[in-house]
Amino acid sequence: MKLMKLEIVTPNGVIFDDEIKQVTLPGSEGEFGVLADHATLVSLLDTGVIVIETSDSKEISVAVDSGYVKVEEEKTLCVVDGAVALSGDDSDLAEKIAEAKELLDKAQTSSTAIIAAKSKVDSISKNF
Amino acid sequence: MANLKEIKRKISSVKGTQKTTRAMKLVSSAKLKRTEEVAKRSKVYAAKLTELLNEIARKMQQNNENGIDNVFFKENQNPKKVDVVYVTADKGLCGGFNFQTIKRTNKVLSEFKEAGTEVRLSGIGKKGIAYYKYNKIEMINEIDDLSSAPNYERAKEFISELVEDYISGKTDKIVLIHNGYVNMITQEINQQQLLPVDTSALELDAVSLSEMDIEPDDDDTLLDALVKKYVEYTMYYALLNSLAAEHSARMQAMDAATNNAKEMVGKLTVKYNKARQEAITTELIEIISGMESMK
Repeated sequence: MKLMKLEIVTPNGVIFDDEIKQVTLPGSEGEFGVLADHATLVSLLDTGVIVIETSDSKEISVAVDSGYVKVEEEKTLCVVDGAVALSGDDSDLAEKIAEAKELLDKAQTSSTAIIAAKSKVDSISKNF
Repeated sequence: MANLKEIKRKISSVKGTQKTTRAMKLVSSAKLKRTEEVAKRSKVYAAKLTELLNEIARKMQQNNENGIDNVFFKENQNPKKVDVVYVTADKGLCGGFNFQTIKRTNKVLSEFKEAGTEVRLSGIGKKGIAYYKYNKIEMINEIDDLSSAPNYERAKEFISELVEDYISGKTDKIVLIHNGYVNMITQEINQQQLLPVDTSALELDAVSLSEMDIEPDDDDTLLDALVKKYVEYTMYYALLNSLAAEHSARMQAMDAATNNAKEMVGKLTVKYNKARQEAITTELIEIISGMESMK
């Protein structure tokens, strides 16, 4: 499967920069998935969860409050205000989940988006 | 003898000053390291945000022959009212750091005045505020405790008011002036136009972006949000940059002060020794002449 580059940048630094298989993004017009060779696209990101499928088929979730994404054929760039990464093998997952929820709570978007994102975060914690 | 005592007192006082300046230098270098780290991380974000904005602006320029039809991009050839924002430090003892910014701000102010443009001044930083208050130059907005502890929320609040005025057409331009960090020994004054977004630097002949999709569909929603973010973040980054520059300037100033104190102690010690020698010689002469007269 063809890989593409994903970069997630927050004001506190780059939190993700790697080759990936697929990423699902919470666009303001609805959630969408991106594979390599996707058409060029710029979109607003809503409060939600970015789900990344890494090159070794692991799943990483990143809770974000708001931002922008620029998709190019070879490269996807997310510029977000706040983000908390939740990956399965983290020992401090519970702590991260609490942190993610706090971030989502503070987000200034519609409450439905926040609730949807929070329930997604919850389902992650159940999976591991 | 009184002279000797005086010199000794002077020496110990200079040594005390030296201790203080050395401690201040150490504190500044520690703080600089921390601020530099924060600034470095934010720089990536600022760069990516600018990149994104540039690309969208470029796309819109391609689609629209008359340039970009958006309030944030329309350059007013004859600006009537301009907002000037400066950032200085809250504290002194950092060489010419604050004065450089003030000097540049004054230059900009007089340039606008000559062109017959009305200027509103607003600023962050105790030192600048003190200067303009003393010179009775009116400011519409002043914050005196933000430059020593940059905070995104407050930077946003501060600049948002100005952006609102820009959108409603009360002002035609926002200019930001601050001192920036280059490296440990150099600071550089930055003057940038926050709004309207300066599109002259865009490279138009780059990759064709006509294929680019934009969500939400209406360009303005995305662009408005992006430009606001860009302005807010540039403001915040200016604060960080200015703080890093302040610490590096203070480090330099305190280093120079420590060296000067050292030199002064050396000079005073020589003077002290000379005076002591003189006193001894005088005493000896007195004794010898006394003995001579006894003969």
